[in-house]
Amino acid sequence: MTKISSRQLFFFLAAIAPVGKLIYLPTQLAEFSANDLLFPAAVNFFLQAGAVFFILLLSRSNKTLYDLLSYTFGKIAAKIILSVFTLFLFYAAVIPIMEQKFFVHFAFYDTLPTVFAFAPFFLLSVYLCAKPLVHAGRIWDILAPVAMVGFAGIIIFSFGEADFAALAPVGAKGADGFLRGTAFTMGWFYDSAILLLLMGKFDYEKGMAWKGALCYLAGAAAILLFLAVFYGIFSDIAVRQIFAFAKVSKYFVGIPLLGRIDYIFIYAVALVMAFYNILPLHAGVDSLTHAFAKRQTRLFSALCSIAVNAVIFSVTLLLNFSFRGFLKIVTQTAFWVFPLFCLLLPALALLLRRSPREKV
Amino acid sequence: MKKYKFRRFVRTVPMKFYILLAVIVIFSFFSNDFELVDIQKTAIILAAGVDRSENGYVLTAQIAVPKGSERTTGGTSSVEIDGEGETVSDCVAEIYSKTGWVPKFIFCNLIVLGEDTVKERTFGALDFFLRNEYMSDSCLVAVSAGKASELLSSISAIDNTSSLAINQLFSASAEKSGKITKNTLKEFAIGYYGVSKSGYLPFVRMQTQSGSDDQAQSGGQGGGSAQGQSGGGSDQKIYTAEETALFYDGAMVGLLTPEQTYAFNLLNESVVSSEITVQEGGKNHSLAVLRNSGDVSLSLKNNPALKISVTLTVRMSSCCSQAPIGSMAYAEVSPEVEQKAREAIGGYLKGLWENSKSSGCDLFFLTQKLYRSSLGKYAEWKDTLLQALEPEFEVSVKGTK
Repeated sequence: MTKISSRQLFFFLAAIAPVGKLIYLPTQLAEFSANDLLFPAAVNFFLQAGAVFFILLLSRSNKTLYDLLSYTFGKIAAKIILSVFTLFLFYAAVIPIMEQKFFVHFAFYDTLPTVFAFAPFFLLSVYLCAKPLVHAGRIWDILAPVAMVGFAGIIIFSFGEADFAALAPVGAKGADGFLRGTAFTMGWFYDSAILLLLMGKFDYEKGMAWKGALCYLAGAAAILLFLAVFYGIFSDIAVRQIFAFAKVSKYFVGIPLLGRIDYIFIYAVALVMAFYNILPLHAGVDSLTHAFAKRQTRLFSALCSIAVNAVIFSVTLLLNFSFRGFLKIVTQTAFWVFPLFCLLLPALALLLRRSPREKV
Repeated sequence: MKKYKFRRFVRTVPMKFYILLAVIVIFSFFSNDFELVDIQKTAIILAAGVDRSENGYVLTAQIAVPKGSERTTGGTSSVEIDGEGETVSDCVAEIYSKTGWVPKFIFCNLIVLGEDTVKERTFGALDFFLRNEYMSDSCLVAVSAGKASELLSSISAIDNTSSLAINQLFSASAEKSGKITKNTLKEFAIGYYGVSKSGYLPFVRMQTQSGSDDQAQSGGQGGGSAQGQSGGGSDQKIYTAEETALFYDGAMVGLLTPEQTYAFNLLNESVVSSEITVQEGGKNHSLAVLRNSGDVSLSLKNNPALKISVTLTVRMSSCCSQAPIGSMAYAEVSPEVEQKAREAIGGYLKGLWENSKSSGCDLFFLTQKLYRSSLGKYAEWKDTLLQALEPEFEVSVKGTK
């Protein structure tokens, strides 16, 4: 396989990318915007859908981001810019990986397990990151139906228990709540940054830009439905319900009789989430390989993968007891980093040269 | 040929390695420690009781034990262990240090709060349970008359473990009788943290079962209790939860009578197996409720107005007179009996409203309804709504043949 197909890309945008917004994001939205949580989320989704549209338009040249940067700024500058961009992706990946770690520790175990219970995640990550990024396409082919079935199951089990009147009155938290909710949750919206690094890994097809944006909005609609159900169930204590998607379905009337059969769907979504959380690292390692390795690319990507995952693994161990502080710094104090890399840079990328300068 | 086979094997190694890694991840994520819970080192807590003490709280954990106790030779055996501390978390730590058992709350289905605990800052006691990620917030919460420890360490006349007998009070069939209210930790917390700041919990009393002394002497006594059954004595107990404790701002502010609790359930629940007894013509008539519907509607057209309505379909189930066999076949309810039933239910509803209003508990979450309907009206009426409302009661009782 040499390229990601359009189907695989649409699967990623519609079914894989949304699952990364299911753990801490709902509670963060509830904290800042309370019952108005749908509006900040919708704004962030629309901004990302716009970025997806423009990046897919940009990908008509079928060139990678590194190629476009080197055509415009030269190879050295391109390497520097790409390295900074890759560092951002590694930085963005820490919170989702920590989220999933805590999720596994609290939702799947009866008592707190050892910190190494999550370590095999990094074994998988090392392996995947060492593979070319185009291999992700096949993974999305398998995972997209799993994500859809898992998500549908959770919604079916929880929909009837939600009191949607809890979403009223509109505007209760005012403009301040809306702005804080929008700005301080941007840390979960970095799909456009991943897509920038996917450029050149797929062939542009006619209408791909609007179809891609539409697929992303379809996934966004599913998450907005989930947020509505989530707030409908937990209302004023929603801010406390951190591992939301493992909790909303447990109030289903059949659960006391059948047991937690909803865990089948929760496992499915959690599995997809693991692959989604590896993706920023995967895309970053692949880009660095493309930019820096002229020969022995497999060895370079393998070493790079080991190094990156070792650093992230160490960070997750270090942050084990100070995650809330780190989360606050990343999503609140330095929230502007995300729109800079995920919205402004994709917009500026439209100005990049699509072909090399002609030599005089 | 051999070389070709070896190359083909080497080519497929990455995929095999990938599958192996995926299996390891799935196992470590979802194994749940393969449910390897060492029962000898784990305290499976069935119910928790919280009482207030001079230093903070006393937590009584009713723990299931994997052996027959002196109390019983079958069913679920249990012991009650106390822990004391400034917070409930301290109490749990003390239980751990006293017994060496890891307290496991995942099977805890009942939290009982002592009467002293709910006098103020009830959520000081519930905070630990609400924060605990390893405990379900679907567990039931109740208030006990007197101390929660006495209730949990008492010997039930109907079950080997008191908490299971109390849980039985809140079964789905008991709920349909309309005689009890039940509330979960989640729902109670939503009420407390919402704009109404109100909630309700069932109020559990225990009574000595008549003739239980003989049974206690012949049957197993409560030797299984770690605290020696100090509260319950050797008498066998039965439990009732026909009253409802009212809460406002985290403190218990009132108590609904059994009749008012019944009226509250007629408004909120599907009551299908209950009886109303009324006197007409000097005779008692018992009416079985076949169907009910209740509504509490807040109108905001001008000033807020409240309408409380109940509609019942009933059938004669018992009459204290020698009725001719023909009338028994049709079980007709006379208009006079219907009128008496309307008056009785109307009286219960009025009592319910007055009790709720005087206690300050927004039992029907009217402030929340106002908040969700109109922020402007909410700002205007939020402090005076309950006192300003003069509800209109509408009761309809229709007999069926």
